[in-house]
Amino acid sequence: MALDGEKDIDHIRLERRRSSAWVRWPAGWWGLLPSVFSLLIFIGYPLLQVIGFSVLDWGGIAVGKFVGVGNYHDMLSDSDLRESLFTTLKFAVLTLPLYVLLSVFIALEIEGTRFERPVKALMFLPGLITVAASAVSWYTLFSDYGVFTALTGIVWKWGSEPWAALFLIVAFTLWQHLGYGILVFSAGLKSIPSEVLEAARVDGASEGQIKGKIILPLLRPSLVFLGVVGSLFALQSYTAVFLLTKGSQQTRVLGYYLYKVAFEDYRFGYGAALSVFVLLLAFSIAALQGRFLSRGSAA
Amino acid sequence: MNPINPPKSSNPVNPVKLANFIRKCVMLLVVALFMIPLIWLAYSAFIAPDAILANKNPLTPSWSWANFIALKDENLFKPLETSLIASSLVVFFQLLLALPAAYALRAGTPLLAVFLFALSVPAELLLIPLYGLLQSLHLLGSPLALVVPFLSSPFTVFLLYQAMVKLPWAYTEAARIDGASELRIIYGIIGPLLRPEMAAAGVIAFAGHWNLVLFPKVVAGDTYPTVQVALAELISKAGNNWGLLGAAALVTSLPIVVLFFAFEKQVVKTFEGGVKG
Repeated sequence: MALDGEKDIDHIRLERRRSSAWVRWPAGWWGLLPSVFSLLIFIGYPLLQVIGFSVLDWGGIAVGKFVGVGNYHDMLSDSDLRESLFTTLKFAVLTLPLYVLLSVFIALEIEGTRFERPVKALMFLPGLITVAASAVSWYTLFSDYGVFTALTGIVWKWGSEPWAALFLIVAFTLWQHLGYGILVFSAGLKSIPSEVLEAARVDGASEGQIKGKIILPLLRPSLVFLGVVGSLFALQSYTAVFLLTKGSQQTRVLGYYLYKVAFEDYRFGYGAALSVFVLLLAFSIAALQGRFLSRGSAA
Repeated sequence: MNPINPPKSSNPVNPVKLANFIRKCVMLLVVALFMIPLIWLAYSAFIAPDAILANKNPLTPSWSWANFIALKDENLFKPLETSLIASSLVVFFQLLLALPAAYALRAGTPLLAVFLFALSVPAELLLIPLYGLLQSLHLLGSPLALVVPFLSSPFTVFLLYQAMVKLPWAYTEAARIDGASELRIIYGIIGPLLRPEMAAAGVIAFAGHWNLVLFPKVVAGDTYPTVQVALAELISKAGNNWGLLGAAALVTSLPIVVLFFAFEKQVVKTFEGGVKG
């Protein structure tokens, strides 16, 4: 018996090896050609160029000078970079827990009620409206002469108080992305088999116990997923910083610093090296997400 | 019956019921707070210009079309036309190309990783090399520069691929046995089955392209400014004229809002399905 089983496994292994030795192209594989062609030209080639630029000392106009890993070496001693990494971290620490908590709270509260559809639709809308238009609205609401001040008399000191500016960016980011978080958790909730909850109810579990001990643990994959997406927001959010606080020192997250180096200081070579760094960060976060997710579904 | 929020018992002084009620109120309060910027965006567009200059309470009721009339002088309508045409073309081509690509991936072509990789590249990083590329293709300043780099989107391909994973693939076998060509299977059979997901992907693609600022500004900002380029210029030009800015922001957001509410059900469904995987 045992021998037979081993034989089977050997057989399967052999099959697998054979089929991976030459890639099998299914019918209709050529459907990929236009897309792959377009991606190679407009994403692949520029990406290679960024890596190429990153070894140059280049101002964008004259021909760049080859400096090898010089730009990468400069990053190690760049105090502005260190500061913006710290700001990014602060931003992430402020944003992530609020983002996850509010998403899961609202998703739980609306599930199956008459609020579900309108709340989801309305909360998703801010993410689709352009950042420029949203910034107009936020600016006129919260600037020193804005509605908020006119109504309450409280001056929101985002020009002078460091925490106020950072808090505003956090609130803006939450506002833009919460709708997506709600959808993620709502999808997670819908994938919980109702038999599990009914069985717990029959066994006399209270609604609080069901939420805390059954629903929340089962939402772990959505939680991990949203955590990763949230940290990518922290890496990428630069338009909001640019439009709302004009890049005041306390809100210079990594994305904004990158923009500043390339388009305000015209240090394209160094900017490219920073881009490669941000890319690597984003990829490692995405890879981490992949690992967590596959582990979550296997468990 | 809804398993997560079961119907409550009818006992009027039930503490569980009270806690539920309070939680619902908190949830509605959060939602209401989140709606304030949207409501203000719409409302500020109709504030009379003199009401702002007089520095009155901004909530004093005043209703005027003056901001929209003033908008006529701001040259926003040519950019609106440019954006409508460019974004629609982008959506059309993305769906046209994504369908066969997603089909090939679903059938088992081992290139899914290429699209996942492309998906995780932040587009802003590619701005400088893209500029150089369009320059050498002699496309700078041409309206084509707004469309050509976006003909294929890894995101659109991925959304449609995920939708196809849920389709029973025996359909295609049956169609092939009946003598249908691959093109006919893709556009004649799979396409119609994926109508909701295509609508959702189209809305997202349209919004994504419509909302680009930096790229269109750099490659065709002088010749064919898009709505966002025009809006950004207006912000720097008329920074303290809230009414005018509000009207401009409303006009430039309206197509997205209308499109979203027209396909809201499909967009929400597709995003929930996409996460479940």
